[in-house]
Amino acid sequence: MPVSGIVVRCLDGCADAVAGRIAAFEGVEVHGVLPDGRIVAVVEADTVQGEVDIVSRLHEVEDVITVHLAYHNFEDI
Amino acid sequence: MGLSRRDFLKATAAAAAFAAAGAAVLKPKASEAAEAGIKWDKAPCRFCGTGCGVLVGVKEGKIVATKGDPAAPVNRGFNCIKGYFLSKILYGKDRLTKPLIRKGDKMVEASWDEAMTLIASKFKEAIEKHGPDSVAIYGSGQWTVFEGYAASKLFKGGIGTNNIEVNARLCMASAVTGFMTTFASDEPMGCYDDLDLGDTYFLWGANMAECHPVLFSRLIDNRLKNPRVKIIDFGTRRTRTSQMADKYIKFKPQTDLALLNAIAHVIVRDKLYDEAFIKSHVVFKKGKTNIGYGMEDKFKFADDPKPMTFDEYKEFLKTYTPEYVAELSGVPAETIVEMAHLYADKSRKVNSLWTMGFNQHTRGTWVNNLAYNVHLLTGKICKPGENPMSLTGQPSACGTTREVGTFTHRLPADMVVTDPEHRAKAEKIWGIPAGKIPAKPTYNATEMFRALDRGDIKVVWTQVTNPFQSLPNLNRYRKGARKGDGRFIIVSDMYPTQSTEVADVILPSASWVEKEGVFGNAERRTHQWYKMVEPPGEARNDLWQIIELARRLGHGNLFPYKYIEKEIWEEYRKFGEGQGKDLAPYETYTKTRGLRWPVVNGKETLYRYAEGHDPYVKTGEGIKFYKNKKDGGKAVIWARPYEPAAEAPDKQYPFWLCTGRVLEHWHTGTMTGRVPELKRAYPSAVCEMHPDDAKKLGIENLQKVKITSRRGTIILPVDLNGRGKAEEGNIFVAFFDENKLINELCIDAYCPISGEPDFKKCAVKVEKV
Repeated sequence: MPVSGIVVRCLDGCADAVAGRIAAFEGVEVHGVLPDGRIVAVVEADTVQGEVDIVSRLHEVEDVITVHLAYHNFEDI
Repeated sequence: MGLSRRDFLKATAAAAAFAAAGAAVLKPKASEAAEAGIKWDKAPCRFCGTGCGVLVGVKEGKIVATKGDPAAPVNRGFNCIKGYFLSKILYGKDRLTKPLIRKGDKMVEASWDEAMTLIASKFKEAIEKHGPDSVAIYGSGQWTVFEGYAASKLFKGGIGTNNIEVNARLCMASAVTGFMTTFASDEPMGCYDDLDLGDTYFLWGANMAECHPVLFSRLIDNRLKNPRVKIIDFGTRRTRTSQMADKYIKFKPQTDLALLNAIAHVIVRDKLYDEAFIKSHVVFKKGKTNIGYGMEDKFKFADDPKPMTFDEYKEFLKTYTPEYVAELSGVPAETIVEMAHLYADKSRKVNSLWTMGFNQHTRGTWVNNLAYNVHLLTGKICKPGENPMSLTGQPSACGTTREVGTFTHRLPADMVVTDPEHRAKAEKIWGIPAGKIPAKPTYNATEMFRALDRGDIKVVWTQVTNPFQSLPNLNRYRKGARKGDGRFIIVSDMYPTQSTEVADVILPSASWVEKEGVFGNAERRTHQWYKMVEPPGEARNDLWQIIELARRLGHGNLFPYKYIEKEIWEEYRKFGEGQGKDLAPYETYTKTRGLRWPVVNGKETLYRYAEGHDPYVKTGEGIKFYKNKKDGGKAVIWARPYEPAAEAPDKQYPFWLCTGRVLEHWHTGTMTGRVPELKRAYPSAVCEMHPDDAKKLGIENLQKVKITSRRGTIILPVDLNGRGKAEEGNIFVAFFDENKLINELCIDAYCPISGEPDFKKCAVKVEKV
């Protein structure tokens, strides 16, 4: 199963609400909200396809500005 | 695979994300164990021209992980969504692994020796019968510096033909001629640091949010920290970028020429210009007008620059009143005035950013000139945080095609074949007889494939590009390739493409970290990487392929190297030494995350032409456009008029068609389309249309429509709710889909100065199916 570490940038003052929204996604674990409002999360799915579907949907979540990939491990597929 | 190891991998992923975000988090010891056996090394990303740094993790000969490189100044630990596919690109199921030779309708496996023997015999036969200008090579901005350099040396210096072109002609050529005509030196004065340091950003026809997401994030981060930051999006299509901009200004296609002149008009009218800057650093010129569109075969154009005074330039601008241009462009006159004042606001650090909207334009050179005009009038140039910046689409459009000069007319370091001194310098460095490099350029990319269609070119070798999907007016060139009569097409690639379909020989190529390479990005950053994994099967490096052909044609002496990459680099950098294009020794790049040239005494240059930054500018000179010697070290403000597009909507074909890229795909999709995940996120091309236009035609969302131009027809579903939204009277189709070749509809009209075709404007009709 591939695993990735992502950083989500959202509109000012919306970090906690957005963290809640994205934590509700299956396959997304929120690991922390930084003081500047960015959210660190881990995405996992059965396939890279699953990961990309999740990240594509995160782009569409209300108040999300960008989603960036920091780390991707796909050793197990 | 135990559960606990998985938890450790997740902790590793989180730790990497925290680290990239600048938060210190200690990686648990056990997660280090989870990563045991992975060897990490640096490389630039394989995709766009941004030039992000990636750390590639290899275990047992395979890539198993990637990271945004925290040490890379461009992306600081982050990748965009395409980062998910970097490594998988190498492992598609249909990867080409053996040379293939056409036998009738079939492609049959062959040995490298058979394939190269056949290729060399075809080259020799064509050269003997029809001369050296009957053979050609067509590469790309994805060639490494070494590959482009070797191809140029072989064709110009060995075979003795200027028949070398690149897909960058379809992408960046207008940016090159814009830089050359205004500053007499290619590539930007500024760098990506301007994205962090400025406060006012004008985007012209650039959908940065989707096409340069990492750079756009830097812009957004800047705005989050600084409430003064304004992003203005001038466009003909509402995009994800427009949504995030402070202001979106829609304009009618082609009227960017008039808008920039109207902005200059207001700056002059309201005396907002920087008189002292103009006096010290600017000359004024005009060129020919009504310059044509390059639609007929063998089209030729030579400009005839004439000096003019500032007063004559002011006179030229008089036509472009905000009211007249409002009528032409659809942008309200008061908005034009407001934007001119914003451009000239002395308290603001102003930047302009653009890509294909300007470059793929039948007046591409002119519109680049006009953007520089505004910066030169206001003196907002060559300063940290204030610059015009042309972004690029390919990882080494700058490093290879522009800097090495793999165009028919160019040589390395901005030199041209038409200049006897430049040829002599190249001949000396290459160790070839004087007079070997032909003095006349032959064909730009479009003309090269026209020559193939006519039969003037017999043999074409393409590497790392897919012209038989990406050329405009594609039907003509696809048919031309298969006309027979001695025509012979060689395609080197890693996957089957629309171009391998028309090939006589297909050569399987190594890609990205399967070879050692150097790329150069849009901010003049040169980035080196080492080979990390073996290519599959019998696939081989394009550099090896070129040198192997050279050897078989009797030009092996041009490549007498042991450590090929390093020795090519050391030879290549002689061209730029002392020319403001200095590059560092090879070892330097192996240890850095890239350096921006000119690199003098080991120091990179962030701002060209600026005292204190650029070592070529002497103390007391302030700003000096030292490359433009013939105008006394000054830049040129050009009087370039508005002229209409080559083809505009009419009663029969009432819509503008614009083509371009989307976030999930890159160019013709040969790498991204391989990966089923990306295909699913954006599986096939759609026709973006304005809901009011759809309503008038009785078309519903996702209904199929027939789109027809004077050159071709295509059937696509209409998308009224997509991320991009076409303006009224316009449709937009992305060009990645190999099953829906939208370029068959595009017009092969090009900018007479740059030779770059206009993929953004032609006339089509849309009908219900």
